[in-house]
Amino acid sequence: MLLGPSVVAPQGVQALQDLTILFGAPLVSGVISHVEGRLQGRRGPRILQPYYDLAKLFRKETVVTEESSWVFLAGPVVAFGCYLIVPLLIPVLTTYGLPLGYMGDILGGGFILALASFSVALAGTESGAPYAQLGGSRAMTFGALIEPTILFVVFAVALITSTDLPYALAATVRSSSSEMVRPGHVLAAIAFFMVVLVDTGRIPVETHSGTLEFGMIDEARTLEHSGAPLALLKWGSAMKQLILYTILINVFVAPWGLAASGSPVAVALAIPALLGKAMVLGMIFAVIDNLFAKLRLFKITEFIAAAFLLAVLAVLVFYAGGG
Amino acid sequence: MHAIPSTYAGVADVVAVLVLLTEFAMLRAPLLRSQVKLYAFQSLVVSGLAVYVAASRHINDLYVLALLSFVLKVVLVPGLVLRLLRDAEVDLAGSSVLGVASMILIALGVSVFGFITVGSLHVHSIALPTTALAIAAAVVLVAFVLIILRADVVSQAIGFFSLENGVSVASLVVAAGLPLVVEVAFLFDLLVAVVVFGVLMRVHHGRTKSLSTEALDRLKG
Amino acid sequence: MSSILVVLVVMPFVVAVATIFLPVGISKILTVISGAVTFALALALVPTATTHTQIVTGSMLRVDALSVVFLVATTFLYGATAVFAGGYLHLADSPAGTRYGRRFYAGLNLFCWSMVAAPLVNGLALLWVAVEITTVISALLVAIDDTDGATEASWKYVLIASLGLGIALLATIIMYYAGTTVFGSAYDLSYATLLAGAGRFPPDVVRLAFVLAVLGFGTKMGLVPVHTWLPDAHSEAPTPVSALLSGSLLAISFYAILRYFQIAVRTLGPTFPRNVLLIFGLASLLLAALYLLSQRDLKRLLAYSSVEHMGILAIGMSFGAPIAVVGVLLHVLAHAAAKGTAFFGAGSVVRKFATKDMTKIRGGIGALPWSGAMLVAAVLALSAMPPFGIFRSEFLIVSGGLSDPRDTAAAVLVILVTLAFFGLSWFTTQTMLTPDLTAVSADGTAAVTLAKGEVSAWIVVAMALGLVALVILGVHPPAQLSQLLNHAASELGTPR
Repeated sequence: MLLGPSVVAPQGVQALQDLTILFGAPLVSGVISHVEGRLQGRRGPRILQPYYDLAKLFRKETVVTEESSWVFLAGPVVAFGCYLIVPLLIPVLTTYGLPLGYMGDILGGGFILALASFSVALAGTESGAPYAQLGGSRAMTFGALIEPTILFVVFAVALITSTDLPYALAATVRSSSSEMVRPGHVLAAIAFFMVVLVDTGRIPVETHSGTLEFGMIDEARTLEHSGAPLALLKWGSAMKQLILYTILINVFVAPWGLAASGSPVAVALAIPALLGKAMVLGMIFAVIDNLFAKLRLFKITEFIAAAFLLAVLAVLVFYAGGG
Repeated sequence: MHAIPSTYAGVADVVAVLVLLTEFAMLRAPLLRSQVKLYAFQSLVVSGLAVYVAASRHINDLYVLALLSFVLKVVLVPGLVLRLLRDAEVDLAGSSVLGVASMILIALGVSVFGFITVGSLHVHSIALPTTALAIAAAVVLVAFVLIILRADVVSQAIGFFSLENGVSVASLVVAAGLPLVVEVAFLFDLLVAVVVFGVLMRVHHGRTKSLSTEALDRLKG
Repeated sequence: MSSILVVLVVMPFVVAVATIFLPVGISKILTVISGAVTFALALALVPTATTHTQIVTGSMLRVDALSVVFLVATTFLYGATAVFAGGYLHLADSPAGTRYGRRFYAGLNLFCWSMVAAPLVNGLALLWVAVEITTVISALLVAIDDTDGATEASWKYVLIASLGLGIALLATIIMYYAGTTVFGSAYDLSYATLLAGAGRFPPDVVRLAFVLAVLGFGTKMGLVPVHTWLPDAHSEAPTPVSALLSGSLLAISFYAILRYFQIAVRTLGPTFPRNVLLIFGLASLLLAALYLLSQRDLKRLLAYSSVEHMGILAIGMSFGAPIAVVGVLLHVLAHAAAKGTAFFGAGSVVRKFATKDMTKIRGGIGALPWSGAMLVAAVLALSAMPPFGIFRSEFLIVSGGLSDPRDTAAAVLVILVTLAFFGLSWFTTQTMLTPDLTAVSADGTAAVTLAKGEVSAWIVVAMALGLVALVILGVHPPAQLSQLLNHAASELGTPR
């Protein structure tokens, strides 16, 4: 792993990125639940609770409905695999691009995340249970509605940096403080914040902690799974959350604390920096959870329209005059 | 693609975008009272922008203008309209012709048109960056959409007032040095227009006992 | 000379304030006097305006040949309408009636004050302010009758007109910006300054400003497609106000467009401004001619005729030949007189027959021997019959258009005007020239025989004034006036 006395090999760093996301994701989830509980006046679950939950689930037996086929079991695995690929493409720990990082740009990452979501929904629908199908169809609908927003955010990024490699935008933001106050950048960041909110299923789109069928979207898809596939699904959704946070933080909002070189110290410091920033962002989401009420299902289109509006305005403002 | 603009330009543009976003929020606001408050907020943002331009570009006339527009557009006008709403005692929710998402999409299309048209003009100004002019044009066009698609008297009046806000932002961009006398004349004129709007709104309410314009279709052809 | 301008600006305002306190009878007389005096002063300005290019008072008032033309038109109609209103208004002898009378006369004088001020002020910014003031006052006047129709019409009017003026404000600001590229940032928008520097303004910016100005002020002028408030407002307002709206206010809005036209022509050359005016003019004329064929309401008919004439004005300006521009300016004068007289007659008919619905009115000439006949004459005048002024002005416009290589526009103009003539003449024959003296009663059942006789002598006098002016303009305009028109046309024309 160490090439010489003071540089970590790029492949090593890339593997470290994956491992950070893999093992850091439940931690971030745990912190969010704990903080949310505190804000509600409870003691809140343990911060390491998600790890215990995953371990417990892996030990349990898997029950499968009679009507389902191999897709039911393959879905969680495919999703998990996707969630392992995406960290290779985005700036998690470093400011410079890593060898496999050029396999795909933001659009590619978006496609892979969509593939993961699709396979989970497919698996859920496949089981034949009504709630799972409900969740799957709702998730696909809202996912499709949020796609144009993601596209326009990507376009906004491309307009700033002439590429849509996430590393380039991070570099631009770091290079001057006035980049942060460009209206286009601000709008794109807020639009992406709303996208993250929709994709990770938080208030005002969905209640993260309960399973109310009136409003379930993401939670419903996983209702029929159990045992190891359920563990993979839960882990996968925590990883998705951390990936989206990482993109938001390291590309738009706060791309500092990343390792600029391959030195082990820098790389080692980058890991807690990332996790720390993600926890702060998670706490912001927890506060939002407790401040607002969930939107009724048909009002979610208004929310998505607002996100779309911000994204389009970001592109327009860049286009119209370098703003 | 373009060089990164200065911090001043960035902040000024963000404030201008806030004006535009408030306009979109007015499209969505279902309660008339919240529309009026959004208008007050928008006027506050515009006054703030004027103060910011005055401070950064050392145009002292703009301080007076900012103060006058604050008193007029943040305090007086919303106060008048809120008083009318209180006296009307009916119709606290506005009505609109289309659903919210459709209205936002239409307004978005219209803003795109405004951005592209103004962007092709290559206006240069010392006071504010060009983007602000494009944003002001978008505010004016979205105000039009608001007036056309909303079917009650108060929404239409607020739409007109917010159009004037858009013109104010445009004037900050290209006409920051306009003689103070002229700017005060414009503001005074707006005050008179507001009074007349208020009178006519009351007349309308007195006649039709509602604030909706759905009854206003007798005269045709 | 400069004192004349000050008196012109101040007098109607003072009279307006006075009418709030004086009894209505005195207000009537005072208004007539004010109208007559302002008209005399405007005429006094004619010889000076022809010879000097401009007269300046302070830095706020300025008069050149173009402004005097519009001033003469406005003040004439001010005086005539004052006479008409004296005979038209039936005020109850109650506090409510007195209040209505006071409000009406105060509003009337204020309205005329703002319309007199508009051609007198120096600069695009003050011009916008003056036009805005005309909007707000006239909106209140439209609503003064407190009927359902008036309420609806006044709301539509104030909303659409204010929107248009918002666009016009944007145009003013953009034109100001065009000036800053030449003059630096602190200059006033006075005409002399703008015209001097117009050649060096950036063309794209002036193009945008001109289009916005035509759209914005065109809303107040009644150009299609932003004319939708016009038929409602002009038909629901009290008739004296309708006369002023149609005869003067539309002309003042056209004056504002002409000022922008003057500047745009110097920056962009003649082609683009003329094409813009041509498009709007043709649309207005076409729509008005079509709608004229299907009207039932008498005042609405006249309102659409106003739209038609505004279209003719715009098309006339687009022809560009100097003779056409002279025709346009003459048309402004003649239309003010003709439309005023027509509305006066309509008011007389409405008072007599107690309805505006033309299908219920028969035997107008029999019932109203004087005003009926004069109404027929006025309507014929509006259709460009000789010997009235509009015939002469439209003749000049068409001949100017035919001398242009693209003479299709002139041909289209003639066709559409003929169409409008059919619409107007149907009304004339159906309502006025039928022999029976009966009218359908208010509830549509019995036929009521009306007493023969005029409603009021004042109305007859007012209409006579209008027709005399029309005949003078049509048969032999005074030499000074012709010189004024020529001078104004050359000011508007393109520098070759």
